Amino acid sequence: MTRFGLPRPHGVAGVTLAQAAALVLPFLFVAANDPGRYTVLFGVALVASLVWEWVFARLRKRPPSFHGLTTALVVAIVAPPEIAVWQVVVTVSLGVIFGELVFGGRGFGFLSPATVALALLIISFPELSLPAPTRELALATLPAAALLWALGLISERVILSAVAATFAVLAASGQGIEPVTIATGLAFGLIFLICDPTMAAATNAGRWIYGALAGSLVGLFSVSGITTEAVIFAALMAGIFAPLVDHLVVLAHAYHRARRRNA
Amino acid sequence: MRHFKVKKGEWPSIFGAAAPQMKDNIIPASVAILGADFPGLRPRFEVEEGTRVNVGQVLFRDRKRPKIAFVSPIDGRVSSLAYGPRKTLSACIITAKAVANESQSDPERPDPDDPRPVLLDRGFWPAFRTRPFGRMPEPGAQPEAVFVNAVHADRAAPDPALVLSDQTPQFQLGIRILTRLTEGEVFVCQSRGTPLGPTEDRVTHAGFEGTLAAALPSTHIDRLYAPAPGREVWTIGYQDVAAIGHLFQTGQYRPNRVVAINGPAASRPRLVRTCLGAELADLAVPDAGEAISGNPVTGIHANYLRRFDHQVTLVEAQKAGPNRLRPAVAGQGALIPTRALERALAVDIPPVPLLRALSVGDSEAAERLGVLALVEEDVAALTRHCTSGANYARLLRQVLDDLMEGAA
Repeated sequence: MTRFGLPRPHGVAGVTLAQAAALVLPFLFVAANDPGRYTVLFGVALVASLVWEWVFARLRKRPPSFHGLTTALVVAIVAPPEIAVWQVVVTVSLGVIFGELVFGGRGFGFLSPATVALALLIISFPELSLPAPTRELALATLPAAALLWALGLISERVILSAVAATFAVLAASGQGIEPVTIATGLAFGLIFLICDPTMAAATNAGRWIYGALAGSLVGLFSVSGITTEAVIFAALMAGIFAPLVDHLVVLAHAYHRARRRNA
Repeated sequence: MRHFKVKKGEWPSIFGAAAPQMKDNIIPASVAILGADFPGLRPRFEVEEGTRVNVGQVLFRDRKRPKIAFVSPIDGRVSSLAYGPRKTLSACIITAKAVANESQSDPERPDPDDPRPVLLDRGFWPAFRTRPFGRMPEPGAQPEAVFVNAVHADRAAPDPALVLSDQTPQFQLGIRILTRLTEGEVFVCQSRGTPLGPTEDRVTHAGFEGTLAAALPSTHIDRLYAPAPGREVWTIGYQDVAAIGHLFQTGQYRPNRVVAINGPAASRPRLVRTCLGAELADLAVPDAGEAISGNPVTGIHANYLRRFDHQVTLVEAQKAGPNRLRPAVAGQGALIPTRALERALAVDIPPVPLLRALSVGDSEAAERLGVLALVEEDVAALTRHCTSGANYARLLRQVLDDLMEGAA
């Protein structure tokens, strides 16, 4: 049941493949600036994440998986090109292990490994500053967003409420609300970090609340214009609260159900 | 008549509609009463292997509730009585006799004002299913309402209006009999068109259309009358209601079933008139291929027509060996919340929290979410769309069994 008659992703591996396919175009746009450097960054991130997945698969006696593909692509796109190889290895390893593998693998945890890795990167290496999202990256995100939306892997509820909340908070704090600037700043992080289905809320009402929470946090964390750091931390904070949001939605649903019955 | 559009659930299959004319009665070579349709049923047999039986003759009774009788759908000989684990019923198979008996031995018309003992003793109790739990009701239980399912959501299934066209009086009498079983409403759920049942007190007609879930009783209950905690409602199919009407009109047990034969391996979609529990290979003639009793979403590979099905889907025999392009997902895959899951469940329950509760067997959380409104057929679409590859129908039954033990 996907839009435009696209085949349904089969299993978690299918979801990973679809996400990776969506990430290819943004990666190519970013990598066009310095193809050699970005290929190295992506390769190192990929090897680091796949090695840990392989190790955990061996320990748990499970077939190996390759979900590190999307983690590596996101990290390679967002990380600054001047980052050292060992810094990539450290952040990706920590992100993959603590964001995903300790919970049992992709889909079992409540965080996105890419978000965790990027947040750790910002905290651990304050001397590095992430490049601001470019208009090219935002444009390249558009077809990716369309693909993921058509496959049902991102929710329009999260996107709409996050965008609205960002606008509202930025307007309330007296910052500029130039739509193009906001869209540019928000696009990639919103689609690939905030909307990540493993991290976002999993009930329809929860998705509105989660998106609003993430959008408001982006607005709050942005001092002068939306920065990549603001989006990453907003995604991390909102993701941590997503299970609580879902829990409250379920309680509210049970309450309404009980009232409807006794009426 | 209130009308409901069901937008969530699996949309009907692409297979063509069956031709509106029916083929003659197909008397199958053998029929079976399957334990799989009545989970936990422990029989006390009144016949032995080799006994000759007539239509409507009692084969066995429920060991715990001996008032509930199961009767033979055909004239023939009992060829196999098989027990499952813990003395539950596995299957009771009857081989048909070449020539049918002239008439039944018990043409006395039963009393329509006290239908309960008649329904129990003449083999109609197994036609009812309860919500919650989807089991046969207790002989003395009073439902808050009875839901008759006559919705035509899948073009591949028989059209109830067509099937009932030559038995309207029987169907309407059947509905009146049902009103004697409850002090509440009898809901006749149907497609658009003239009301199928009688217009009288405590009979409410409701229209349903949309996805395959429009033809699932859980959807009707969710929209029309959800029982309060601790209370139950019953569901029954339209062909059984007509058969009940026939029983009270003539005194004869009529186990007829109109079944639609369909699917990729069917040479042409068609309707056949046969009997309960018919052997599917006989219905499929001249087509070969594997038979699914039911539609492709909720159906199950089977040799015999299952008790609550009106539809048989013929598919190509599966090739041996794993499919290389679509490797089987291991049973312990993760659940990725996708839009497909949000759109698969027609009952008002948030699907992802439900699936998470089911997959860890958390019956308390599942109950809070409203799992008691569901039976296996309702979650079949979720199993199809979930990335985890888990069989949610089985997990649901385990959780329901847990809750049933707790309630008992």
